[in-house]
Amino acid sequence: MKLSVYSLKNVLFQGEAVSLNCKTVTGEITVLDNHETYITVLSTGIIKIIDKDNKEHAFPVKSGFLEVKDGNEVRCIVEQ
Amino acid sequence: MESPQNLKKRLKSVDNIGKITKAMELVAATKMRKAQQVALDSRPYAFAGLDLLANLSILENIKKEELPALFEVRKNIKKVLFVLVASDKGLAGAFNSSVFKKFEQHLKIDKEEWKKENHIYVAAGEKAFAYLSKRGFNVIKKFVQVGDHTTPEQVKPMADFILEGYLNKDWDRVIVISTHFKSALKQEPHVRRILPVDFEHIADTVSEIIPEKGKFAELIKEHNISFTPNKEKLRDYLIEPAPKIVLEMLVKHLIFMQVYHLVLEANASEHSARRMAMKTASDNASDLGEKLNLQYNKSRQSRITTEIAEISAGAEALQ
Repeated sequence: MKLSVYSLKNVLFQGEAVSLNCKTVTGEITVLDNHETYITVLSTGIIKIIDKDNKEHAFPVKSGFLEVKDGNEVRCIVEQ
Repeated sequence: MESPQNLKKRLKSVDNIGKITKAMELVAATKMRKAQQVALDSRPYAFAGLDLLANLSILENIKKEELPALFEVRKNIKKVLFVLVASDKGLAGAFNSSVFKKFEQHLKIDKEEWKKENHIYVAAGEKAFAYLSKRGFNVIKKFVQVGDHTTPEQVKPMADFILEGYLNKDWDRVIVISTHFKSALKQEPHVRRILPVDFEHIADTVSEIIPEKGKFAELIKEHNISFTPNKEKLRDYLIEPAPKIVLEMLVKHLIFMQVYHLVLEANASEHSARRMAMKTASDNASDLGEKLNLQYNKSRQSRITTEIAEISAGAEALQ
């Protein structure tokens, strides 16, 4: 899936990813390929991303939003 | 004619002033570039946030529910909060005075209304505070040192203060007067209403992140950005925990982003205004230096001529 993670200061991640794991206000979720369209609020925690080369990226976040769009596209805006 | 010693002294001080203004010009230029860069770095976030808001606000299930309080235009506007964004330090040309002038113009336009409304003021920057207290206005809070490559953390207290007061009904409308960075050579003071929230207003601010001319102006063409969501293309979203809560939180984030951006833009404007002012000052100093140098040479020459004339006159008298 196409994933981008933005913060106010910079772009944290942009590119192809296999999975995205994060904490939301309703619990922890992992977003995989072809997830249904979805909007939620992130809570304080760590965003873990596994990119297409199986490398793991992790960013701490304070709050933010997750949007899964039509067409296998995921977008996060976070506050650190 | 002035004595060469005096002229030399003046020449030296003009030279020194020139050196100082030149240094300030260079510093301001670097700071301006940095401030622009910071504003640009927050751009993807702003676009994504706005896009999300656009998608959310046209969803059917939200319309049925009540919109968050931040969207509501209150019927009885009694208290209006004005936020003046200026600089902490002077020597920035007309930067501060143009903000104040715009503010006064704005007050004149709404003269009738303004008798009914109660005005409250927040000052961002020492100069804004000095101006408002001189005018005898009721300044409830001032925020200083928001200049120089601001981080989101530095702006947070100001945004939170504005938002909290609004939700507590301490004020019913928030107007910000700040400088819009058009290009490195041109800045304009703008009056913006940031609360209650209006989608158009946020979209305006976001599109202004990119200056109309100059180094970064081409960026907007590359990205081909538009804020009108395509209704047919949108599928129904699954929204957790509830659309209203998500919308409310998103709007809070966007207001913060907007305030942050206004401060960044004011910073970039301040530094470019200062750069221009200092450039003019150092140009003037070098002009003046040249004139003084000429005057000094003339005065020295005339002295030498007088001395030679005296010597030759003395020699002639001896013969």
